[in-house]
Amino acid sequence: MSHGHVVVIGGGGTGAAIVHDLVLRGFTATLVERGELTSGTTGRHHGQLHSGARYAVGDREIARECMDEVRTLQRIAPEALEMNYGLFIALTDEDVAFAPTFVEACEESTIPTREIPVEQALRMEPNVNPAIKKAVQVPDGTIDAWRLPLHFFATAKHNGADIRTFTEVVEILSAGSAVTGVRVRDLATDREYEIKADMVVSATGAWAEKVARLGGIHIPVTPGPGTMVAVRKRLNNMVISHLHPAGDGDIVVPQRGLSIIGSTQWKTDDPDTVEVPKADIDYLVKRASDLIPVFSETPIHAAWSASRPLAGASSNVEDGRKMSRDFIAIDHGTSDNLKGLISIIGGKATVLRAMGEKTVDMICSLFGVEEPCQTAETPLLPHRAFYNSRLAVRPQEVSL
Amino acid sequence: MSNATHDPATLAEPALRTVVFRIERKQRAAADGSGGWGEYEVPVKGHTTVVDALEWIKNHLDATLLFRHSCHHGSCGTCGMIINGVQKLACTTNVIELVAAAEEAGTDTTIEVRPLQTMTHIGDLAVDPTPLFDHFPVGASYLRPSEANKKAEIPEEIDHYVRFENCIECGLCVSACPVVAIRGFMAPAPLAAYNREIDKRPERADQLLPEVDSDEGVWGCDRHLNCSAVCPTGVYPAKHIAMLQKKIQKRRDG
Ligand SMILES: Cc1cc2nc3c(=O)[nH]c(=O)nc-3n(C[C@H](O)[C@H](O)[C@H](O)COP(=O)(O)OP(=O)(O)OC[C@H]3O[C@@H](n4cnc5c(N)ncnc54)[C@H](O)[C@@H]3O)c2cc1C
Ligand code: SF4
Ligand code: FES
Repeated sequence: MSHGHVVVIGGGGTGAAIVHDLVLRGFTATLVERGELTSGTTGRHHGQLHSGARYAVGDREIARECMDEVRTLQRIAPEALEMNYGLFIALTDEDVAFAPTFVEACEESTIPTREIPVEQALRMEPNVNPAIKKAVQVPDGTIDAWRLPLHFFATAKHNGADIRTFTEVVEILSAGSAVTGVRVRDLATDREYEIKADMVVSATGAWAEKVARLGGIHIPVTPGPGTMVAVRKRLNNMVISHLHPAGDGDIVVPQRGLSIIGSTQWKTDDPDTVEVPKADIDYLVKRASDLIPVFSETPIHAAWSASRPLAGASSNVEDGRKMSRDFIAIDHGTSDNLKGLISIIGGKATVLRAMGEKTVDMICSLFGVEEPCQTAETPLLPHRAFYNSRLAVRPQEVSL
Repeated sequence: MSNATHDPATLAEPALRTVVFRIERKQRAAADGSGGWGEYEVPVKGHTTVVDALEWIKNHLDATLLFRHSCHHGSCGTCGMIINGVQKLACTTNVIELVAAAEEAGTDTTIEVRPLQTMTHIGDLAVDPTPLFDHFPVGASYLRPSEANKKAEIPEEIDHYVRFENCIECGLCVSACPVVAIRGFMAPAPLAAYNREIDKRPERADQLLPEVDSDEGVWGCDRHLNCSAVCPTGVYPAKHIAMLQKKIQKRRDG
């Protein structure tokens, strides 16, 4: 018997992990996405599987969570990752002086580091700036931004979740101070209809403010777009990062036949109308060339941007922050007197599973049910199983 | 994060020119008498892609426009369309380059966009790619050894550098294949996936080769080579079909 029906709004990585966790824990779940799956921020992110090294100096807890999830994803979705490790490289004396702080912070966050002698580092990554002064290896990698979430969607669908694309939520329905469902528009037919729900979860990232407004709630979220530039050659196999306090344009992520530099960050009013600033492209190519000099001579393949949700100050946001340092889960029942609505904002593609776990933990406690999370131990189905159940066989399960 | 590049002036650079897009929107035809096509004027910059232009239309002119997109850098495979008559990824197709090509050829600079054939139509330019996955091999790995910096040393923790397969499952090859249009054929991308899998795991040859040894499989290919011409990631499906044919022949010959 189902514990209840939950509607998840938003088909990015966060929605994918939530809907997968919900059906595993015995809920009935429907996910609605206004476009194709991962057409918001998720599909466009930089594609870095974060060991957490980038965050360790600033926040050990976030870094440790990344590392835990890298280990978990390697078990449950190895085919969605290029697991080639990463090198943090020091370019200046200042960077070299920063290295011990960096290594110590990584160790305190359970991130294994290894200093690689410069000559060896250059043998591992021949295109890296030959003037590097130090190199530290960490367990970074590359994510397929579309196919990792698709692993979650495929498994959720296989387990009975109802996933509807090109379906936009136009109103969050309520009676008194409790949510009763959503009103959606099927964008292919222009037909509007209602979906009844015991609980509604908004996993709409940079769109969280717009969606909360459909239920009459205000959450201060400013979209913070960032640009990435890909060149048409795979120059590196490991993720190459600048060994310095995290900043703009300091990571080159390889993926398939590409190398990708990212990112920048600015602010905008509307996540739908973001364009790529030419100045960003020039700036990023220049920064990439500090790390990998041939980057600037390699033809540009694509330049694009994606929006982070930057949460402002308000009492509901402060309530939500208590859940995790990295993302915000707001129970609007306690912070805005609208029961049965939750908003999830922030996080990282790397920690999507953990975000799903914490969100569904919150849902379980609101429903008063006790169901342990199983997603860390449940191998996911291959991405192609989303489209064809015959393909729900993992490569390692093939019998000859 | 600090950033010196972002004063508002640099964000708002001027458009280079206005380009007309003619978009097939079949399901609107009966409703609005438009004949199933919509025309839109879009301001474009040097780096504007067709996907950027479609987003601009959706946000500024007609919010009902449907199309698929996700990664915006040619890796997910969701944005395949027929652009000026050719199967392309909208996200890596530069608008100014299309216009320049038309001007050079002395033809109309209007950009015509239609949905991919051979997939299930959802609306406007959006299709459901399910048919593409009908004939993929079961249990095929999506990873392969990386060819970049071949002689490079590797981290102690791994056997070799890996990367995702080239095929991004965009279906451009399937839509461009004249055989798919006229008779039952497993289609280029799935057949290429068979050959990749057998190359990576030769122990699966006995199991997989019989699955493609038929007139709907590798022997259905008439070598039009459209698939290899349109593939955005250099898979060259026709080459993989020929290699499968050779593998089958070799097994027959003993
Ligand atoms: C520039 C940049 C680079 C990044 N790089 C990395 C990286 O390298 N590694 C990493 O781990 N993380 C990275 N991230 C973070 C990561 O991308 C995000 O944390 C993650 O993708 C957020 O996913 P989400 O599902 O919460 O949001 P989204 O993916 O934005 O999903 C929200 C969805 O809601 C949908 N939606 C909105 N309104 C409605 C409505 N009314 N009805 C129905 N659906 C609706 C949208 O269409 C959208 O698909 C990066 C982020 C940015 C901005
Ligand atoms: S073989 Fe090429 S054209 Fe065909 S689906 Fe794969 S990437 Fe697309
Ligand atoms: S949007 Fe991913 S390939 Fe074009």
